[in-house]
Amino acid sequence: MANSGTYKGILILLFVAVILTAFVNLSLGSVTIPNKDILATFFGGEVSNDSWRYIIMEYRLPKVFTAILTGSGLAVSGLLMQTLFRNPLAGPYVLGLSSGASLGVALVIMGATFFGGPLAGLLLSKWSLVIASSLGSLLVLLAVLLASAKLRDTMAILIIGLMFASLTAAVVSVLAYFSPAAQLQQYVFWSFGSLGNLSWEEVIILTIFWATGLLLAITCIKNLNTLLLGEQYARSLGVSIGRNRLVIIIATSLLAGSITAFAGPIAFVGLAVPHLIRQVIPVNDHRILLPAVVMGGAILMLVCDIAAQMPGSQFTLPINAITSLVGAPVVIWLLVRKRKFLF
Amino acid sequence: MKYLFLIFFSFSLLSCKTERKTPAEILQTGDTISVTHAHGFNIVQYQGYKLLTVKDPWPNADVTYTYLLAEEGSEIPRELEFHHKITIPVNKIVVTSTTHIPSLEALGVESTLTGFPGLDYVSSEKTRILIDSGKITELGKNEAINTEVLISLDPSLVVGFAVNGGGKTFSTIEKSGIPVLYNGDWTEESPLGKAEWIKFFGALCNKSDQAERLFNEVENSYNEAKELAAQATHVPTVLSGSMYKDQWYVPYGNSWSARFIEDANAEYIYKETRGSGSMALAFESVLSDAGNADFWIAPGQFGSFKQLIESSTHYNRFKAVKNKNVFTYSNTIGNTGGVLYYELGPSRPDLILKDLISIFHPSLMPGYEPAFFKPLH
Repeated sequence: MANSGTYKGILILLFVAVILTAFVNLSLGSVTIPNKDILATFFGGEVSNDSWRYIIMEYRLPKVFTAILTGSGLAVSGLLMQTLFRNPLAGPYVLGLSSGASLGVALVIMGATFFGGPLAGLLLSKWSLVIASSLGSLLVLLAVLLASAKLRDTMAILIIGLMFASLTAAVVSVLAYFSPAAQLQQYVFWSFGSLGNLSWEEVIILTIFWATGLLLAITCIKNLNTLLLGEQYARSLGVSIGRNRLVIIIATSLLAGSITAFAGPIAFVGLAVPHLIRQVIPVNDHRILLPAVVMGGAILMLVCDIAAQMPGSQFTLPINAITSLVGAPVVIWLLVRKRKFLF
Repeated sequence: MKYLFLIFFSFSLLSCKTERKTPAEILQTGDTISVTHAHGFNIVQYQGYKLLTVKDPWPNADVTYTYLLAEEGSEIPRELEFHHKITIPVNKIVVTSTTHIPSLEALGVESTLTGFPGLDYVSSEKTRILIDSGKITELGKNEAINTEVLISLDPSLVVGFAVNGGGKTFSTIEKSGIPVLYNGDWTEESPLGKAEWIKFFGALCNKSDQAERLFNEVENSYNEAKELAAQATHVPTVLSGSMYKDQWYVPYGNSWSARFIEDANAEYIYKETRGSGSMALAFESVLSDAGNADFWIAPGQFGSFKQLIESSTHYNRFKAVKNKNVFTYSNTIGNTGGVLYYELGPSRPDLILKDLISIFHPSLMPGYEPAFFKPLH
């Protein structure tokens, strides 16, 4: 075990890496903007092309913030879930939040086929999707909370989350079967996830949710460490399991639910980042893990977004495909190299 | 079975050297019915029957379908090979795309239509009346045709379309003895090519001459409009397509919808691009390429500027939005919600072209009432 000084060093390194990748992300995109114009945008110089200034300030900058918020938020909720269920396969979506969200969105986009034309006008407002997605997540969350109040066993909640996921997936596929191609396409696009369509006001709203979720997570750091020793043991140390579980579930739901509402269901990050971080920092202390996971998630998302934008090309790739394409090989490589699974 | 046939065939060659005649020799030479713009089908008229060949039922198809159309009781050479024999004129037909309906109406045979999947999408007036009086049966949604209902209708044939090879539904229908003819009108890229598929229905209804006449009217009208547009001195720049999240979906430069812009004597921003389907571009590149475009047509599903801006504030950066030069066809809908442009547009390219000319060069067509394209609210 290295001392905590080394870990502080790693944390500082990670922080520098976040800043650097954020700048690289800002400066790369389909449109090639010279570096001096990027600097001029921020330091009040003369930008040679007005639409460049717009692209940086109104499109790329919110996208960078969105990437940082989604990456870190999902990674934290993944970490919380893995610790709560003591299961390395748990991720931000095990509670069925994303399936709830996708059901809400599917009802709005594809349900119009059943409810006739007047709804179609509502579809196009971005807020309708955000609200539908949030309501869907909330509904599942309430069900999970009800179940967790009744159940003493945390594992049962995991199973219930999976069951919700199957249920909603079934309803979504029935909807998909009956809806016209154009609407199906819209739904598919939503499920690809997207970082680049948030306005500043949406970024601010997302930040509020993110901060609340993160603060809640910070309040349970001590209990998280105890939970790793097993629920019985934690009880004997005086941790109130039920209340603690509630706080963790609410924190996760705030993070994962709000991110899904604004950026769509982004896969993989939440599951993989905690493992990546544990391989780099082999500790089980959440005081170190939590900040490291926040920064690791942000870095991974920023890097994936750079790859998805395919700098210099007019085309872009869906972010959801990239997160797994970039992330999965890294996790495999780390696990194979270490020959030791840390959890 | 195939081998048996081969053995038998080689024996027959060895034993008595009967020469099998190729269809070309059996046939007296036929008259090809002229098809000038469409590349997906051709029709040859022989003594007493027609052969209708569909070459591109779907993109990159490696099959060609031959359909034999003959009137009741006519002599058919026995050696002919074909996929289906159809007795014409057909008296009970099922079509599967709204684009087929205007052709039936123009030929005056809409009453032969007995079933259709998704009746609400149909807006053509005469057919609408038949639907409202319960004469046309609903066959389910989309490509998920309710086969039982269809088979119970017992139509003479089904005009289907396949996006990539025949679907399972169609093979079930064929097994029940109802011929399925593939219509490839949607794969045509030239405006007049799509419209020429009226001749496909003309052949089926034994109204080839009328189909020819109707098509010539559309063709003349289109060409006249095109010549009129060529007189304009100012050539505006045009953007088409719309953004979903941070991706723009725009038509390729060689696509059906982009060709209208060129024929209307305007410059499509992405006219150099080639491909099929629609092209997904990053928001930044569209903004820098098309931020200054004079016009924006077909902005997806948006019906009003309010919707447009609600879905993304980025739209405010476009000159066409600032000057309120955005035109859409999605506000022109039938009584039951079907978009008219999708239904009637393919068979009336002349109307689409005139709409666009009246938008790009208003001075050339004073007082023109657009059929599909209306300004955004």
